[in-house]
Amino acid sequence: MAATNASKEQKYDRQLRLWGDHGQEALENAHVCLINATATGTEILKNLVLPGIGAFTIVDGHTVSGEDVGNNFFLSNNNIGKNRAQAATELLQELNSDVSGNYVEESPDKLLDNDPEFFHRFTVVIGVHLPESTCLRLGSVLWSASVPFLVCKTYGLIGYMRLVVQEHTVIESHPDNALEDLRLDQPFAEFKNHIQSYDLDSMAKKDHSHTPWVIVVAKYLAKWLSEHNSQPPKNYKEKEAFRQFIREGILKNENGVPEDEENFEEAIKNVNTALNPTKVPNSVEDLFNSEQCNNITSQSLSFWVMLRAVKDFVHKEGNGSLPVRGTIPDMIADSQKFINLQNVYREKAMQDAAAVSKHVECLLQSVGKPPESISEKDIKLFCKNASFLRVVRCRSLAEEYSVDSVNKDEITSCMDNPDSEMVFYLMLRAVDRFYQQHSRYPGVYNYQVEDDISKLKLCVNSLLQEYSLNVNIKDDYIHEFCRYGAAEPHTVAAFLGGSAAQEAIKIISHQFVPFSNTFIYNAMSQTSATLQL
Amino acid sequence: MVQLVGSLRKELADSLSTCKVLVVGAGGIGCELLKNLVLTGFKNIEVIDLDTIDVSNLNRQFLFQKKHVGKSKAQVAKESALQFCPTANITAYHDSIMNPDYNVEFFRKFVLVMNALDNRAARNHVNRMCLAADIPLIESGTAGYLGQVTVIKKGMTECYECQPKPTQKTFPGCTIRNTPSEPIHCIVWAKYLFNQLFGEEDADQEVSPDTADPEAAWKPEETAARATASEKDGDIKRVSTKDWARSTGYDPVKLFNKLFKDDIMYLLTMDKLWKKRKAPTPLDWHQLENTCPQEDSPVSGLKDQQVLGVWGHCQLFQQSVETLSSQLQEKGEGAELVWDKDDPPAMDFVTAASNLRMHIFSMNMKSRFDVKSMAGNIIPAIATTNAVIAGLIVLEGLKILSGELESCRTIFLNKCPNLRKKLLVPCILDPPSANCYVCTSKPEVTVKLNVHKTMVLSLQDRILKERFGMVAPDVQIEDGKGTILISSEEGETEANNSKFLSDFGIRNGSRLQVDDFLQDYTLLVNVLHTEELERDVEFEVVGEAPDKAPPPQTNQEEVNSITNGNKDSAQPSTSSKGHFGKVVKKCHAFCCKHLFPQSPSSSKC
Repeated sequence: MAATNASKEQKYDRQLRLWGDHGQEALENAHVCLINATATGTEILKNLVLPGIGAFTIVDGHTVSGEDVGNNFFLSNNNIGKNRAQAATELLQELNSDVSGNYVEESPDKLLDNDPEFFHRFTVVIGVHLPESTCLRLGSVLWSASVPFLVCKTYGLIGYMRLVVQEHTVIESHPDNALEDLRLDQPFAEFKNHIQSYDLDSMAKKDHSHTPWVIVVAKYLAKWLSEHNSQPPKNYKEKEAFRQFIREGILKNENGVPEDEENFEEAIKNVNTALNPTKVPNSVEDLFNSEQCNNITSQSLSFWVMLRAVKDFVHKEGNGSLPVRGTIPDMIADSQKFINLQNVYREKAMQDAAAVSKHVECLLQSVGKPPESISEKDIKLFCKNASFLRVVRCRSLAEEYSVDSVNKDEITSCMDNPDSEMVFYLMLRAVDRFYQQHSRYPGVYNYQVEDDISKLKLCVNSLLQEYSLNVNIKDDYIHEFCRYGAAEPHTVAAFLGGSAAQEAIKIISHQFVPFSNTFIYNAMSQTSATLQL
Repeated sequence: MVQLVGSLRKELADSLSTCKVLVVGAGGIGCELLKNLVLTGFKNIEVIDLDTIDVSNLNRQFLFQKKHVGKSKAQVAKESALQFCPTANITAYHDSIMNPDYNVEFFRKFVLVMNALDNRAARNHVNRMCLAADIPLIESGTAGYLGQVTVIKKGMTECYECQPKPTQKTFPGCTIRNTPSEPIHCIVWAKYLFNQLFGEEDADQEVSPDTADPEAAWKPEETAARATASEKDGDIKRVSTKDWARSTGYDPVKLFNKLFKDDIMYLLTMDKLWKKRKAPTPLDWHQLENTCPQEDSPVSGLKDQQVLGVWGHCQLFQQSVETLSSQLQEKGEGAELVWDKDDPPAMDFVTAASNLRMHIFSMNMKSRFDVKSMAGNIIPAIATTNAVIAGLIVLEGLKILSGELESCRTIFLNKCPNLRKKLLVPCILDPPSANCYVCTSKPEVTVKLNVHKTMVLSLQDRILKERFGMVAPDVQIEDGKGTILISSEEGETEANNSKFLSDFGIRNGSRLQVDDFLQDYTLLVNVLHTEELERDVEFEVVGEAPDKAPPPQTNQEEVNSITNGNKDSAQPSTSSKGHFGKVVKKCHAFCCKHLFPQSPSSSKC
């Protein structure tokens, strides 16, 4: 077992650096369902098999055609006539022996007829090139089973993705520019004591210039507060004055020239971020106020139980603040001073997490669940990321498609901009309508192109009429979509395969924030947009 | 290819099957690219890569499997692609693109060149070859979730070298040898140490205390006295670390005490260094052995991510020295080991040695995982980003082939949709920069250096090859006589190597004409003599202060951050030699971020 771990560590080294071993573990426990092994479908799956998902199942009732072989890397000439799910599974499986590949030689519609619960078992279902009716049916089955559903389509030079998930919680959102959690504006007791253990005035020079900047700022802030009615520096002018105040504290040599004290320079540089008031971010405050947080039941996800526990903590032990994160940035200091400071934060973080843990225990008890159903490790991770928690909620396909709840505002306001990708969304909807009426896509046969242009135009108009959308779609787009003839160029499929797999990984690992809820890619201009539909 | 004709014009689809394209690199992007090209209908493809396949490639380079580890990337990529698409005509080269065989004539065979590289040296070179051959080039790069694609065409767009990239930070020798202040200094030292002990010895990679450190300001007589004092061990002659190590039979304890006790005590005698700095604390093996508590072996989580204690690192040092020295022995007389971040004992050795040195110099120790990131300059890499980028490359390629160069874009891929909800940000291609020292009609630069202290060899290696990316420069002094200072022909000017520039009459205002025939590139170098360069700085390019941020972009639609490549400038690629350096090109507030994990230098964004 140890040997396998070591070889996995080696094989997955470059990605462990992005999502860590727990992210990898989530991937390895995931079972992904792909419906339709088209070029787009197999590209997505390839990008999930390579990083090592646990298992996949391909559902596909089609047989392999010559066209499939032309644009699909995972199908070859000798597969023609065979079931597409089976053929693709064989080749995809070769990419990674750690992954278990399965297939079902049936159309999704048949499965929905006979065994809709079949789809409940998956971590995520990816539906590629589904006709509208199938998409809506499957969408409602997955919606009520709370299984995330990623709808993908490559249509000519247009890529489309739609994420359908009621609620997706993210503990580790990996924000780009996260502020440190240093509590300089409201130091906790242990931190206060630690600050007091330093006396900058009576220190040897070497110690003075190796005192962490956090301590330097804390010291001067305390002095400042006592001289300014307990008001911290607020505006630019006051902060500048505060910087000068710190600068004056730099030791001087026998000639009165200031010494080089990098730690003080660091303190001055960090004044702005250091003075940032500690408070619960609005996004987290909103989550505190949500129904799921306030109404914990035995069905509640552990995310909500932990969130509620953190909320209770904020109102009690935390005195209005989230649990201390417990990490500090690298800074100029000697090892011992740095480690001592780090320990102050780390121990406080552990205390806070322990307090949160108590709340978790109470909550679990109140709904009749055993306390060990949420691990200490998870609680610690949750507390550490408390400022960055995110919940993504998408609308259901039914809401998007219903005349009563269609997001008309988004559509019309986007369509005011002549370059908006929204037009492609409307065109794709019109094409679906075409398919429903004619059981084929427009322009697939050269001799019908002219005919299809007018038919597609009718579909566009009836779509706009049905939703009473007062927007204008140029004929150029109708011509262009007929020209595509439902083609799936490999390189566009490859692009979408990368993008969709990326979103699937975010969903599976519950790390990073997935897009919401519709993504359109235009390969002609290399532009993309996310739309709220 | 029935489907494609639908969305690609017929003429275009036809031309794909006859034209010839070159893919430089068969790694993460290269594998995806090869597949996309074949399935888009390209028939004649040549692919070149000097690398062999490593286990850590398998999470994304899907044309390779476990059984291919150690084989040529280009060759296996070709074979795997042919299995799926037997009709394609693929030629594979297991070679460096910088090899003179691939001259301008070679490049002229192609209608399009696509880079899928991981290092700046090769990118610079291909850029020049494509300019010389006047062939359009698609440049690309990824780093974690971020990526970029751009198009380069002589006379129409910026070339790869139009925007000055922050020069790769090299660390002053005395910082590495005497006064490390950041973990990376210790890691560089440990990698040098590896080469000194087990690999190819390099005079630029000394690890012992540097007595010539100007800051130490030693008087020569004192130096001698101290030197003898510190060599009480008798046979420590500082001629060759390797010879000495061999003479001890690679005894880990002796090595340890020499490196982490004696050398440090020697450094302590250079007292000027420690006036302002915290002085290092020597470690003694036997003392540690007796005092350090037995550390528990880590129980949970990945082993790599734990930070060992001092004694833990001592043991790791001992084990890795034993393993490496027996590997060396097995290889026989005169053999050398090559450092590779993916080779466990080599990585263990650098982890242990760098951490012990960090501890000695009062820095916080790092986990093996983190040391590996820094030592190998590892850029996280995943299948998804490469897939997206390779998809974009082919689409840009199709535009070029249909004669629509003006509609090509530089495209940036963000980690998640930006504030304007864009995942992709296309930017109009900039015209060539008037000041570029590569693609203007008469390139010229001014270099500030000390003509009395700069040797001809360092002009060649440090300035012309490393800094200006040439492969085989010829240098002629414009002194009216046409004195040849450096010739790329072997055996002609080697005698000049260790002479100073001033020995050839080069002084302030001298002009040197430098030619690289392979790259079909001529550069005029103006010499600006100065006595005032900072400690350990050999030269400066005028107008490009070492860490000068690139000029702000004005004509872009929005964003501009970038990636591009990761590894190093000095070496043409390879995952086995992690070098240092990072490339952060244009930055912009919109998605301004470090594209590279904390590697050696901290770049300004």
